[in-house]
Amino acid sequence: MTSPIETEDGAEPVVAHGGRAAATKPEGEQLVGRSPGQLMWARFKRDRSGVVSAYVVGFYFLIGLAAPLISKLYGKNPYTVYADERPELFDSAGVPLQPNGGISGEFWFGLEPGNGYDVFTKLIYGIRTSLMISVAVTVTVVLTGILLGVTAGYVGRRADFVISRVIDFLLAFPSQLFFIASMPVVVSLFVSPRDETPTYVRVVALIVVQWFLGWMSLARILRGTSLSLREREFIEAAKVSGASPWRIIRKEVLPNVVTPLLVQTTYLLPNFVTIEAGLSFLGVGIVEPTPDWGQMFSKASTELVLQNDITYMFFPGVSMIIFVVAFNLLGDSVRDAFDPKTAR
Amino acid sequence: MKEDVAKDVTTGATTLPAPRAAAKDASAEPLLVVDKLVKHFPIKGGFPVRRTVGAVQAVDGIDLTVHVGESFGLVGESGCGKSTTGRLITRLLEPTGGTISYRGRDISHASRKELAPVRSEIQMIFQDPYSSLNPRQTVGKIISAPMEINGIDPSGGREKRVRELLEIVGLNPEHFNRFPHEFSGGQRQRIGVARALASEPKLIVADEPVSALDVSIQAQVVNLLQKVQRELGIAFLFIAHDLAVVRHFSQRVAVMYLGKVIEVGDRGSIYTRPRHPYTHALLSAVPEVELEESGKVRRERIRLAGDVPSPISPPSGCRFRTRCWKAQDKCAQEEPPLVRLSGNREGHLTACHFPEDPTTEARDEDIVLDPALAALEEAAEDQ
Repeated sequence: MTSPIETEDGAEPVVAHGGRAAATKPEGEQLVGRSPGQLMWARFKRDRSGVVSAYVVGFYFLIGLAAPLISKLYGKNPYTVYADERPELFDSAGVPLQPNGGISGEFWFGLEPGNGYDVFTKLIYGIRTSLMISVAVTVTVVLTGILLGVTAGYVGRRADFVISRVIDFLLAFPSQLFFIASMPVVVSLFVSPRDETPTYVRVVALIVVQWFLGWMSLARILRGTSLSLREREFIEAAKVSGASPWRIIRKEVLPNVVTPLLVQTTYLLPNFVTIEAGLSFLGVGIVEPTPDWGQMFSKASTELVLQNDITYMFFPGVSMIIFVVAFNLLGDSVRDAFDPKTAR
Repeated sequence: MKEDVAKDVTTGATTLPAPRAAAKDASAEPLLVVDKLVKHFPIKGGFPVRRTVGAVQAVDGIDLTVHVGESFGLVGESGCGKSTTGRLITRLLEPTGGTISYRGRDISHASRKELAPVRSEIQMIFQDPYSSLNPRQTVGKIISAPMEINGIDPSGGREKRVRELLEIVGLNPEHFNRFPHEFSGGQRQRIGVARALASEPKLIVADEPVSALDVSIQAQVVNLLQKVQRELGIAFLFIAHDLAVVRHFSQRVAVMYLGKVIEVGDRGSIYTRPRHPYTHALLSAVPEVELEESGKVRRERIRLAGDVPSPISPPSGCRFRTRCWKAQDKCAQEEPPLVRLSGNREGHLTACHFPEDPTTEARDEDIVLDPALAALEEAAEDQ
């Protein structure tokens, strides 16, 4: 992605007096340089796949945010048990009578066998739940990553040693197994196993478990970045001026870790979406009747086996594939925009 | 004094006053005194318990004095401890031993808070103009940071002052909203100079300020520094390996070798009447365009062999003895003190048991210690 146009735009030294830049500007206008962020934005806007992915990703977040509004306009909600309300739509086994999982003008994406939930509202609410959890995990992971990574990298010495060893230790964990095994344990910390588990406890447990094994890669990257920044002369210049460590971290280090931070975050979020879906699929995440993206797969896979009907897998599957692919493409574009010199 | 400087600066570059004589008068009390300064970097090793197994003796007992408004040059090969000295004086590093006094005040182990009043008066210009400016800050922010940190509020506001500083260093004042990546190396170094001037310092430590620049730009930046030094009366500790630049810029020069000052004196003494063999070798190593000029004195020719010994275990006695053509047993046993030799001018100190004659004229026979070079030259003569 390194076309000559980009470099010409990006790193053109300005002649002190006059020069091209000054000549093209109208008289009297102030000379304002373009910040690295603005240059990145300009490069990003030229990347077509990145812009399209950004729109797709934005669309998902919009659906998640507007789920209650959409379901209101649509006139249904994901908790209505249509097997009881409209028994005429189902056969004796609880499978929709109409073909393709009961898709009709009334139920756009069909009805789920068994309880007969409306698939469309269930999907948009499921997206809402999944994105909410993943965003929460990403935020906690980013905060932890910044805190521990920058501390380890900038403070160094003992702090670096301790944090790095903790990172090594946690990275050695078999994460998939840990997630599955620890979810019930974490839930039981909040609620006695005999009582019914409230949904918010499951949500909190999902966030805690994913956060616990999610922050290390980001922290490690930020540690490396701040370690190399610490040796840069502009940090020394700030020290010579008498800047406090806090000011140096805030004004000199943090603005310079934004690039790897943003790039990593765009890769992390879809990853957390799939992990959350996986856990719900396995039955340790969000459970019925709360709608969830991953949990829909679990229902759909049973139906796929029993009915040989792919309809139930189709909507959550396609929507998730589009989401994850779009988000990863967005991540690639963000990386290219920030760092046009890196080869793919 | 302080008011004077402030006035000079605020009047702007257009009407800078004549070179200041006041700076010379105040030279009775030295601005900076470095006494027996030592910096050893510990080498850690061992497993499982890491312990100190040795030390890189980067700076090993040096004495320097910088007077008000003076430009003091520090020269030497790579790795001889020049930059470490600069970083010790700006207190980016903490000395292992010895004292650094600024205006009679010991700052060698002062904490950040204790240093605060001195911080604005000692500034630094860095070697690499590409890494010394934060890429995410505008030029205006970079230059105003020292004022912000030290709570300096110039009349007319910081932005106005930034514009003045940009003008002083020869940049367009309208460029204060631009980012470092939009400037060339020389322009970036000018921004670095402007930042160093922002807190109205009395002493600027310039750590190889021009060695990363194109030769065509070097002269401009050196001239800018010279202008700043003369017109604002700022003392400079000018660290460089380029002897010509130091000769152009500094009134007094110290030559360092392996963490020690081996010769110090005024510019004339060091460049035309050097006594230490190493100074002779260093001066002779400066490449020269040989013009067939009649009447021009041929320079002596000394070519050393090998590299600087490791600062982890420096040679005993005189540190230069392993590469010196005059070395004798005494040099290995006894470290030569830095003293004024007979025939030297006041303030010209040399650390050598067997000093050379105070001249750089050609000798009867060239000193070529490098066996490879000697063999090559012999072969060329035979032909």
